[in-house]
Amino acid sequence: MKKVTGLVSMLLVLSMFLAACGNSGSDGEAGDSNKVTAWAWNINVPVLEEAAKKFKEENPDFELEVVEMGTDDVYSKLTTGLQAGGKGLPDIVLVEDDRVQGYMNAFPDAFVNVSDKGFDEMKDSFPSYKTELLSKDGAMYGFPFDGGPTGVFYRTDIFEEAGVNAEDIKTWDDYIEAGKTIKEKTDTAMIGLDLNGDDGLYRMMLNEQGTFYFNEDKEVALTSEESKKAMEVNQTLKEEGLVKETVGWDAWISAMVEGDVATAPSGAWLYGSITQQGKDTSGNWGVIELPAFEEGGNRASNLGGSNYMIPSASGNADLAYDFMEFFSTDKDVQLSAMEGGLFPSLNTIYDNEAFTKEVEFFNNQPIWNLFATEMENIPAVNYTGDYAVAKDEAVKAQSEIANGKAIDEALKASEERLKNRIQ
Amino acid sequence: MAKNLDVIEQTTNELTLAERQQKKPKRKKKKLKAVWMYTLLSIFLVVSIFPFYWMFIGATNDSSKMFTNPPTLLPGDQFMTNLTNLNESIGIFRVLFNSLFVSGLYVVIALAVCASAAYVLAKYNFKGKKFIFTAFLLSMMIPYQATLIPLFQMMSDFNLLNTYFAVIAPQLCFPFAIFLLRQNFLAFPTELMESARLDGASETRIFISIVIPSMRPALAAASIFLFMTQWNNFMWPLVVLNTNDMYTFPVALSSLMGLSYIDYGQVMMGVTLATVPIIAFFLTLQKQFISGMLGSALK
Repeated sequence: MKKVTGLVSMLLVLSMFLAACGNSGSDGEAGDSNKVTAWAWNINVPVLEEAAKKFKEENPDFELEVVEMGTDDVYSKLTTGLQAGGKGLPDIVLVEDDRVQGYMNAFPDAFVNVSDKGFDEMKDSFPSYKTELLSKDGAMYGFPFDGGPTGVFYRTDIFEEAGVNAEDIKTWDDYIEAGKTIKEKTDTAMIGLDLNGDDGLYRMMLNEQGTFYFNEDKEVALTSEESKKAMEVNQTLKEEGLVKETVGWDAWISAMVEGDVATAPSGAWLYGSITQQGKDTSGNWGVIELPAFEEGGNRASNLGGSNYMIPSASGNADLAYDFMEFFSTDKDVQLSAMEGGLFPSLNTIYDNEAFTKEVEFFNNQPIWNLFATEMENIPAVNYTGDYAVAKDEAVKAQSEIANGKAIDEALKASEERLKNRIQ
Repeated sequence: MAKNLDVIEQTTNELTLAERQQKKPKRKKKKLKAVWMYTLLSIFLVVSIFPFYWMFIGATNDSSKMFTNPPTLLPGDQFMTNLTNLNESIGIFRVLFNSLFVSGLYVVIALAVCASAAYVLAKYNFKGKKFIFTAFLLSMMIPYQATLIPLFQMMSDFNLLNTYFAVIAPQLCFPFAIFLLRQNFLAFPTELMESARLDGASETRIFISIVIPSMRPALAAASIFLFMTQWNNFMWPLVVLNTNDMYTFPVALSSLMGLSYIDYGQVMMGVTLATVPIIAFFLTLQKQFISGMLGSALK
């Protein structure tokens, strides 16, 4: 019996001991004044580390600890920490575009005002849609990092077989016509959509028209003219049989690399996935800008992208700011992000060779140049804190429309439900 | 003697012959039933094994092979590549050790706590016993999301964030394990305890030397359950652990899930590795586990 109690108490002591060693530092609390902790997900980690290496040259004592975690995990931890009053948070955290305003609304004082620390001087180096996204009452609360300028990725081999010239696609009507020809000649669907699960295309089309689920006054705008037009494109694509239903991200990627669909409207970051998952399809790809709604209309839009923010609870906010200012504006750091498959929003580097070069995978098309020139034209939109609920309702409407419900009716019902849900 | 035997054999033969004619359709029916049974079982077998097989296929192939059509159904040659990549990404040995350590420690301490609680609730009479037991059971109905933030705040106030103690502590008293053990302790003959008492054994001695040894199957079942719970535990460790070198296996695996770029070769290799300890743990305790189930079936 003594043995057992002895064993248990020994284990307890051991766990306390381990507890004690595990706890040193890493909480980002004062004391370790040269150390900055960052939370980020996979492809962002090498960029942060590269930046830390360069920052160290000027600040030899500087130390950066990157805690790598999945994208959703960052939000789980950030939300928990913020709700617990800023406990256990890092000095720097990476947050996607569509989440930023949600966090700023729900936790108004939780992030450091970077305008106060002098970031306004660098404002011109970033596209306005990014700086507006991070602003509240005229002050900025984060550092713009990567963007998701959109384009239509297409399979050149399928377009050639069907005798369609992608460069001739200027409007969504052209896009639908091209889809019909491709369907007829090659029996391939034009686009892969998850009509009951995601509304990426609809969001791109809203952003392209300068609006979103919410208008500039942050009012629900699901029944706006723009929204109806976007849903019409969705509906026509579906009715003409140009849609291959792909449920979930993996099926979508797979349909593209397999050549089951001819095009994929998406953000620039899609490059990373198709070059990885579709190694055998090199040279069979091209990109055009998103089609416009009327001839000569805006073709710039955004899907995805992320920003760094400093939680106010950070015990080392000044150092974190210095590092992030360096990170955000240093050309070499941002170019290394580019190499890692992220599209930097720092516009002072767009004349670099990395943006002007021809890309072999894309049939030697200089695709980065296309995305870079698009950046400054992307309209700023309101995601608001109710983004997630609004998206849920938009997907419901989209699904109902795909199943034959009238556009007006479906959008109206969704708008009503949304208004009730966010009251 | 030999003749006699012959006769007997003959009669039995005749009998069986006669019987056979009679029973033929029945046996055929039985055979048919067995065929159906086995077909059904094979289908279930395939359905339950296939995800594991697919996991193994993914672990031995390049990430892009997971997306081909028709799907790749044969193991590839990327086993080592995926393993090295995974090791580079998350440091397999470190996180495997972390997880084993956390789960092992948890099983030992939680079992001690739960067994004691279950024993008291099963074998002693005191005021409020029913209330306490009901309270335990009711606590199973509280969703963990509701306790997440208060618990986190508590751990942070105690300055215990990023420690294994914080990972283990909140779940040491595990209601389901207490319930499971209590039901088994109820069946333990009270007479045995009484006779031990007459012989002058202390209450602790009775518990440790008499009750515990005979309850091994139940304890094995509970420990498998506790091990699985802790091994698969994700949300709580994710929230309280703050450095990569403290991560447990599920948390480290989840860090592979970025936005647009996910290397499924590494992910599948990771989940393959994560299932090994559970299988090993189950196999070592299997005998106890199954005899425990039979024991309760025979009652």
